[in-house]
Amino acid sequence: MTDWNAISDVEFRKEVRQFFEAEYPEELRHLPHRPKFAEIEHWHRKLHAKGWVAPAWPAEFGGMGLNAAKLLIFYEEQQRWGVNRGRDMGVQMVGPLIIKFGTQEQKDYWLPRILSCEDIWCQGYSEPGAGSDLANLRTRAEIDGDDFVINGQKIWTTMAHDATHIFMLVRTDPDAPKKQQGISFLLAPMNQPGVDVRTITTLSGETEFCEVFFDNARTPRENLVGELNKGWTMAKALLSFERIFIGSPSLAQNALGQLESFARGRGAFDDPVFRDRFAQAALDVEDHAALYARFADQLKRGETLGADVSMLKIWVTECFQRITELMIEAAGPDGGSIGPLQVGNVSVDVLSSFYKARPTTIYGGSNEIQRNILSKAVLGLPG
Amino acid sequence: MTQTDILSSEQEDLRLLRESARTLFERAGGSDRARKLRDAGGGFDAEMVRELAEAGVFGVAVPEDQGGLGMGLAAGGVIAEEVGRVIAPEPVVLTIGLSLGLLRRLCPAHPKMAQLIGGEISLAVAWQERGPDGALADATCRYADGKLTGGKAWVVGAIGSLGFLVVAEGDDGPVLVLAEADADGLVIDKRAQADGSSLGELSFSGTPAVELASGGAVPTALAEAVADATALAAAELVGLSERAFEITLDYIKTREQFDKPIGSFQVIQHRAVDLNVICEVAQAGVREALAQMDSETDPKVRAPIASRAKARAVTAAKRITRDAIQLHGAVGYTDEFDIGLYLNRALVLSAWLGDDAYHRRIWFEAREAEGAAQ
Repeated sequence: MTDWNAISDVEFRKEVRQFFEAEYPEELRHLPHRPKFAEIEHWHRKLHAKGWVAPAWPAEFGGMGLNAAKLLIFYEEQQRWGVNRGRDMGVQMVGPLIIKFGTQEQKDYWLPRILSCEDIWCQGYSEPGAGSDLANLRTRAEIDGDDFVINGQKIWTTMAHDATHIFMLVRTDPDAPKKQQGISFLLAPMNQPGVDVRTITTLSGETEFCEVFFDNARTPRENLVGELNKGWTMAKALLSFERIFIGSPSLAQNALGQLESFARGRGAFDDPVFRDRFAQAALDVEDHAALYARFADQLKRGETLGADVSMLKIWVTECFQRITELMIEAAGPDGGSIGPLQVGNVSVDVLSSFYKARPTTIYGGSNEIQRNILSKAVLGLPG
Repeated sequence: MTQTDILSSEQEDLRLLRESARTLFERAGGSDRARKLRDAGGGFDAEMVRELAEAGVFGVAVPEDQGGLGMGLAAGGVIAEEVGRVIAPEPVVLTIGLSLGLLRRLCPAHPKMAQLIGGEISLAVAWQERGPDGALADATCRYADGKLTGGKAWVVGAIGSLGFLVVAEGDDGPVLVLAEADADGLVIDKRAQADGSSLGELSFSGTPAVELASGGAVPTALAEAVADATALAAAELVGLSERAFEITLDYIKTREQFDKPIGSFQVIQHRAVDLNVICEVAQAGVREALAQMDSETDPKVRAPIASRAKARAVTAAKRITRDAIQLHGAVGYTDEFDIGLYLNRALVLSAWLGDDAYHRRIWFEAREAEGAAQ
């Protein structure tokens, strides 16, 4: 087994790049939508055969065992080539959860099935009354013999209609003194009579979000991960790497590249006002990348990131939105047109970029919530 | 030694430099000193200049074989940030970036080098000229037979300097000359600046001056020195912004209205966070730019990096100091509170060597030129 961390960053980047460029199917590059598993299955098989499905997992569980520095390189190359992340909820969330808090039986059973995509996972966190205030969740799970019985509703469940399993936060002790207490982590099969999935059509016309209704759905008691009523702390522990990843410059960088080629083709750079706004956006991206590098260096030195890493997400998502808004401006009278716009030999889907940028300030903890966190945890402001 | 070791030992050097500069300024009285000097009529403290020189401040970016510390522009930036934090009026960026930046490139053996590094003197640099409409104009100031004729504008450090490094047109092209401050036929008009400092407008009528360098090397060295000073001014603005934000943060934690600290209100908290993020992005961007300038030798590459730094720093400093006044409320509008000193200094530093809109244009034009060349 290769010890990836032992080779130089430059060599590693080269190897990852070569693999993506040689093996990733051209027609799947920069997919504008989230694919169903069937659409990317042939790519997943290649990745699985290579042993690269789970870059962050320790090698003993079938992962690549990458350290933080190598992991960032892996993701950078993935994004650079427009490689779809695939149906990676299992790899990104469930695997780390089980590795950290699961029993030996859970590891033996679930981890190989995640790697092979025999099970496809979706994440059941948000509820109609529990978005930013996630700890307010009400979906109940009660012990009944050897099972938990689940009742309630999840929402914004990405790709639930193409998932075989859900990992969810549920309320197991409604009488706990604080709402963060009394929450547990459960794994549950989707294919059963008590589970009903309905897709939600988004502003862009996609149906990647779902509502999931639980009406006396059941899951075996051994599908509780970690201790009963300790789910909240576990969910928070899972977010550490996600917090820098969600603030990575790549989305804004890609959008800026698209904006530039589109604007050039459309002659928008003849306008000095547009030139200045483009320069502002480009410098916003460049200086954000400098701040990102500072946090990435911290990770590379083996330090733990503080709450201040949230500022990356605030800056880059708002910058991403401004860039896509400039694209619409550059499109002029085509600014309301659905589908790709042809400019010379480039084609840019202006509206799809615009729509893609909107939820980035809402998901992963809305930017307002991020500001609350920074205000208290970093600036030490009261109340 | 691995690359990481070298990097971290460099970082360690910069950290030590920052600590010693901060201690020195704090011991001297921090921003209170800036207020006292302003109230005393502007200018700076010659004793402080000597103390800074003893700490190696002025020679920080001068190569070791020319009598400096050879620590590069990144180290100059560390010092400039500390200058900005206490809004010190001493000519630090002027000396590191402009006067020593010019001399070390054009006449490194000149005795004035050692005097500048030693803090014995300071020299202002005069190269820009004002046209009849008051805006920047092509240079017409002449140097012939050892004498200067014409004028120069926007001269920072004109008061308190021993003399002027003047870029003029000689008989065979551009020259760099040195004119003493008390030379015959030199009239210095002062124009008061928001922070209590003055900009000099110089007019020469047959003013005696000594030639230091001539030819095409002069405009090249000038452009390089201006790029260095531009990036260092950006670092000074970063330090200034950081401190202005800290002062404001302390204020909103203690000022009470409706029986609560105003910093407990969410609208105030979110504004404070925005300023904090702006400040951190500026710090990261400017520090990265200075480090890149140290590893680049091509002036065509270095200049737009300096522009990137100044554009970012000015945008950040303007927003932070202006919002800082708003967050202080009415007392922010008084001269008594220090936050106003930061606003005023930011105004002056932003206008000096080009503001954010100017530098975005320069940066963009360089990017286009590079794209066209490829």
